[in-house]
Amino acid sequence: MPNSQDTRYRVEVSPPKHGAETLTARLERFAARYRQVIAAGHAVCITDNAMGHLCFQGHELIRELGLPVPPGQVMIHLNTFHTLADLHWILDGCAELGVTELLVVSGDGAARLPKLAPAEVGGAGASVTSVELLAYIRRHYGRQFRLGAAFNPYEPAEHELEKLRRKVAAGADFIITQPITRANPLVGQIKGELKIPVILEAWMSPKLSLLSDCIGYDLGDASAFDPLACLAELHRSYPGSGFYLALLDFKTQFDRLPAGGAA
Amino acid sequence: MKIVVCIKQVPGVSAVSLDPETKRLVREGVKSILNPFDLHALEAGVRLKERHGGELVAISMGPPKAEQALREALALGADQAVLLCDKRFAGSDTWATSYVLARAIATLGNVGLVICGKQAIDGDTAQVGPGIAAHLGWPQATGVTALEVAADDGSLAVTRQQDGGHDRLRLPPPAVLAVFKELNQPRVPRLSGWLAAERAPVPVWNAEAIGADPALVGLNASPTRVVRTGPPPPRNKDSRRIETTPAAAAAQLFHELRRIAAI
Repeated sequence: MPNSQDTRYRVEVSPPKHGAETLTARLERFAARYRQVIAAGHAVCITDNAMGHLCFQGHELIRELGLPVPPGQVMIHLNTFHTLADLHWILDGCAELGVTELLVVSGDGAARLPKLAPAEVGGAGASVTSVELLAYIRRHYGRQFRLGAAFNPYEPAEHELEKLRRKVAAGADFIITQPITRANPLVGQIKGELKIPVILEAWMSPKLSLLSDCIGYDLGDASAFDPLACLAELHRSYPGSGFYLALLDFKTQFDRLPAGGAA
Repeated sequence: MKIVVCIKQVPGVSAVSLDPETKRLVREGVKSILNPFDLHALEAGVRLKERHGGELVAISMGPPKAEQALREALALGADQAVLLCDKRFAGSDTWATSYVLARAIATLGNVGLVICGKQAIDGDTAQVGPGIAAHLGWPQATGVTALEVAADDGSLAVTRQQDGGHDRLRLPPPAVLAVFKELNQPRVPRLSGWLAAERAPVPVWNAEAIGADPALVGLNASPTRVVRTGPPPPRNKDSRRIETTPAAAAAQLFHELRRIAAI
């Protein structure tokens, strides 16, 4: 029987970018979307400086805007592009607010963003990846957080599966895939093999070419792509699975999501 | 000690065009950012204030929209910000600009330290910091990679990067420093900082407010004449393809690089 926490839709809500210009209006729009997702019974997922763009952190938005954190309905992304002090500021902030679910990823760097050093998190390698970050959080915060890790079915399978095993060994409690648009043999394989939940990311933008650009892999004819139909098809291919919805259009798609995502 | 940090709003992209008549950068319609080197100057100022107390003031000469850069300085920890904006300042070169900034610093009064980034990424002149020191008649250090306030006499102990190594010197305040990015890792501003910055007043000072002589500002007071602009000379395009096994190619590449003294 799947856990309802893992079968509800996880809806990505992009945090506002840094900047004073129209800040109040941008914060209000974020808060409205956040509340809309929560009210519908889904989970809000807040990214961490996605694509290297400097944005506000999820926990500071929740705190400053007085947003609710119902159990299992908020997930925050956390990547390796922070100072150690800021990493703990985020983790401690999440703990205080009751945000228990984190998606731990390597992340996208940028000149403006600092990077954790291996020595700071007890790593011996040349750089810090999500594996070292997962292990560090587990060591310092025990079972306080439910940790997720990413899986990319577009990378060479042998390499990606080896990395996935290291993520699970480091403490990942669940996996979220990169966006898939149809049944994927590799995803089927890890769903069968792993003892932890595998959540599937669905691409909700009609611009499929953007996803092709992101993953560096041609996904075929982009002109006829219908994200909602794709999501419905994925539900049929993977019954009982949880879905992470990226780039969901709140005006045209939110109220038309297929049933099966709300807990 | 009152610390002043001079900042500049610059085009946020490298693909800027030049006005064919004036040979100056066309800034209209280009996304603007806070000059990245100035972030290190701000960080240095904030750290000194946190350690030794005092007041941090950010100033910038520019058009009205440069106020956004000043708000970022406030978000990062500046106590106040002043925009130096006057149509008569338009067209100022580095000498006239440093005169305006020096007049503003004198107007603020009781300033013990002025910190600038090493240069702005649009003009790349690195002349404004030294220009301010010249106008004020204060000692200066450029290329600063370490900075402390000496415990014995309150002088500024700095390390200055030179082509052949480092200088260590002490400057009696008031002084002007131009800092390298190696000095520090700029912090990422918090949402609470941005919210305070959004509400903070940013006064605008014109030539009269800073007691500037109108004959010494603007294009006509600028001795710099750009007589010609053009692309840099082409790089050496000599190339050779190594066709062999990966191991042999690596060895051959290593020897080639050693031969041309690249490593």
